[in-house]
Amino acid sequence: MNSLSIYVARESGLHKLNPLTKFVLSLCILLGGLAFSNALAGYVILFAIVTPLAMFGGVTKRMYQLVFNISWPLILSVFLIQSFFWGAGTPLFEIGPVSPKLEGVLFAFKSSGRILYVMANFILFSLTTRPDTLMISLKQAGLPSGLAYIIVSTLQLIPQYAAKANIILDAQRSRGLETQGNIVTRARALLPLVLPLVISSLLEVEERAIAIEARAFNSNRVETSILEIPDSQSQKTARAGMIIITILLIAGRFLWQLSS
Amino acid sequence: MLENIKKEFSTRTLVFIAIAIAINIVIGQLVFYLKLPIYLDSIGTVLVGALVGPWAGAVTGGLSNLLWGVVPPPLQNTFAVPFFYVAVVIGLLAGFFGKRGVFEKESPRWVSVLIGAIFFFSLTMFILAFINIDTSQGFAIFPSMKDLVSQYAIVFVLALAIGAAIGYFLLQNGGYVGLAGLVTGVVAAIISAPTAAVVFGGVTGGGTDLLVAAFRASGGNIWASVLAQGSVSDPFDKMLSFMVVLFILRALPARFKAR
Amino acid sequence: MAIVELKNVTYKYPLTDTPVLKNINAQVNEGEFVAVIGPNGAGKSTLCYTVAGFVPHFFKGEITGTVEVAGSESSKSNLHEWVLNVGLAFQNPFNQISGAKYTVFEEIAFGLENIGVPREEMIQRVNDAMKLTGISELADRSPYSLSGGQQQRVALTSILVMRPKVLVLDEPTSQMDPIGTREVFGVIRALAEKGMTVILAEHKVEWIANFADRVVALHEGEIIADGKPSNVLTSDLLAEKGFGLSRYTSVARKAKAMGMWQKERLPVTLDEAVEGFTLTLPSPKGRGE
Repeated sequence: MNSLSIYVARESGLHKLNPLTKFVLSLCILLGGLAFSNALAGYVILFAIVTPLAMFGGVTKRMYQLVFNISWPLILSVFLIQSFFWGAGTPLFEIGPVSPKLEGVLFAFKSSGRILYVMANFILFSLTTRPDTLMISLKQAGLPSGLAYIIVSTLQLIPQYAAKANIILDAQRSRGLETQGNIVTRARALLPLVLPLVISSLLEVEERAIAIEARAFNSNRVETSILEIPDSQSQKTARAGMIIITILLIAGRFLWQLSS
Repeated sequence: MLENIKKEFSTRTLVFIAIAIAINIVIGQLVFYLKLPIYLDSIGTVLVGALVGPWAGAVTGGLSNLLWGVVPPPLQNTFAVPFFYVAVVIGLLAGFFGKRGVFEKESPRWVSVLIGAIFFFSLTMFILAFINIDTSQGFAIFPSMKDLVSQYAIVFVLALAIGAAIGYFLLQNGGYVGLAGLVTGVVAAIISAPTAAVVFGGVTGGGTDLLVAAFRASGGNIWASVLAQGSVSDPFDKMLSFMVVLFILRALPARFKAR
Repeated sequence: MAIVELKNVTYKYPLTDTPVLKNINAQVNEGEFVAVIGPNGAGKSTLCYTVAGFVPHFFKGEITGTVEVAGSESSKSNLHEWVLNVGLAFQNPFNQISGAKYTVFEEIAFGLENIGVPREEMIQRVNDAMKLTGISELADRSPYSLSGGQQQRVALTSILVMRPKVLVLDEPTSQMDPIGTREVFGVIRALAEKGMTVILAEHKVEWIANFADRVVALHEGEIIADGKPSNVLTSDLLAEKGFGLSRYTSVARKAKAMGMWQKERLPVTLDEAVEGFTLTLPSPKGRGE
């Protein structure tokens, strides 16, 4: 597996689980976590649930690396904007004419907790699950195969198209296209980059469709799979259980919200 | 109706959707690196909607945002994920307008003139707002809309005139497309505001954050400022996307559209 | 025994006025290797698509006449059944990669999965097919990490594994570098020698002359010649129309006109040219040969 997904192959208990199980687990953590509005909720989920799972998968360090790399600009923005632009509130200290507000900082703290646990959960899932085996499991569970095809082939196509875009970028630059400078210059770079990319991509659609039709794709037959994906009764039960618990949590939150 | 939905998803369509999603993401990232204050991540969605239909457009949009969170860095953009439903609606609208022949029917010139004028008015507002950022106090303060208009009245009148002219000569009979983009953009702004406010407290890490900050500083609460941000950048962004798609469609060979 | 039979086939793409194929009559016997040559726009690709069933099922348009493969008629069948009988590979190897699979092994199995072949049989067939085309060592690689020649061989293998009765190849080496071309031609030749019925649209006449059983020349949608390579590729008709001649044939034609080619038959390949010119030209002196 090269740069097609974040997936990292490991011999771990988490990796060995059926992809559907990990999918359900991830979804339940995500949705279940939203049922709690406490400011610390995000952090609790991150440290008490997601981190142990990451350790079970042997990817803790990688997960945190990715989480921080991706989210630090956002978290910084959240803190800066929410503290300084809170409007009316309790000022904490003064920097010249402006002051961050306590309410803003607290709000940012809560938001960040949420952002962190959602991201970590998601990254953990991506680190330990192969997209194609996930699609096969979902197909066997009823996902239309057209949808499964779109998802996997798009994931593989995107790096190829990014490379194509780079090639077009270089070609246009060597013809004198400016991509740095003021906003008008940058904006003018847009159409000469977008148009060739889109048109050349559209012309590929037909040949690709022919190629997979020649392999009997989309022919409404019952499909088989060359990959065997292990599953177990205990995992099936666990999945059902997790779904039920999450539904109860969310329902509970709704009722609590309505009653207060 | 189920038959109509099934018909939309031939093998060609499935391949088209896959490629359109890749286009969305790659162009969206390109725009991000060019540091332009727009998204332009719906070109693929609008193309599919226009050429195939609303359901295919909806799938393209929804999956684009969802998959954008899954691709590995540096292409990844997790923040697009919660807004997937907005992209779904954009695809539906593009398909709806496509079926109404918006991308083919020629509009009367006055529609194009009007759209051009609105487009340029908002573009000018946008640009002047950025250029006139007041950094004298150590962080960015945006001028309010009223101040801008009164200060640059002549520029705005000129913008209206230029926009009208460009609408007349360039957009010509594509005014309906501009209108469709405008409508889609407004709808997108409205339905994305709750998510932006709730999930991010209005902050997405992109170039539009400053707008949010500006509106907040001028006294609005989160919801109002996110809505305001959306209503400046989204219609603009979607109008632009729709018009780019129009140019693409006009550049395509005829047999492509015979589906 | 004719396994492919085209009778009076005329075809027009949708929204066009001129037919791309005009009154095509041709037969291909089982195990034959037929090369189709012609200038760009002559209709080679359309002919390939017609035998493979994509004309008219995928492209729509208007078709008259009958296309028969192994007893079934194209207009009475549907594409999903037809592709089991006729395999198709074309120029661009990148577009033939499904994108649905992460390894070459699985990529080749893709067609079998779609047909519903049981797993054990799939594994056997994929391994056999890879051995046949010599790509067994690529099994665990990602299809997108391969060279053009390797990708094209994977595409061929993916079609072969479905055991078609006829293999149609539309200029499979046009986008290859010389190494890729050699690899792909090597596979095609091996298949032909094993008895596969092959229809190959190609420009590289020298290679065709050595390995094809028959050559069909297409010009503006019509078949203007159909016979053995040594006849068709040296004919005056092709010279008049301006295509299909190898360099050696062109040179020898001029030489013949000047009285410097003594053999009855014009050469197509380098070997034939050398043989023929050695008769005419004096042997070099003083070079120690």
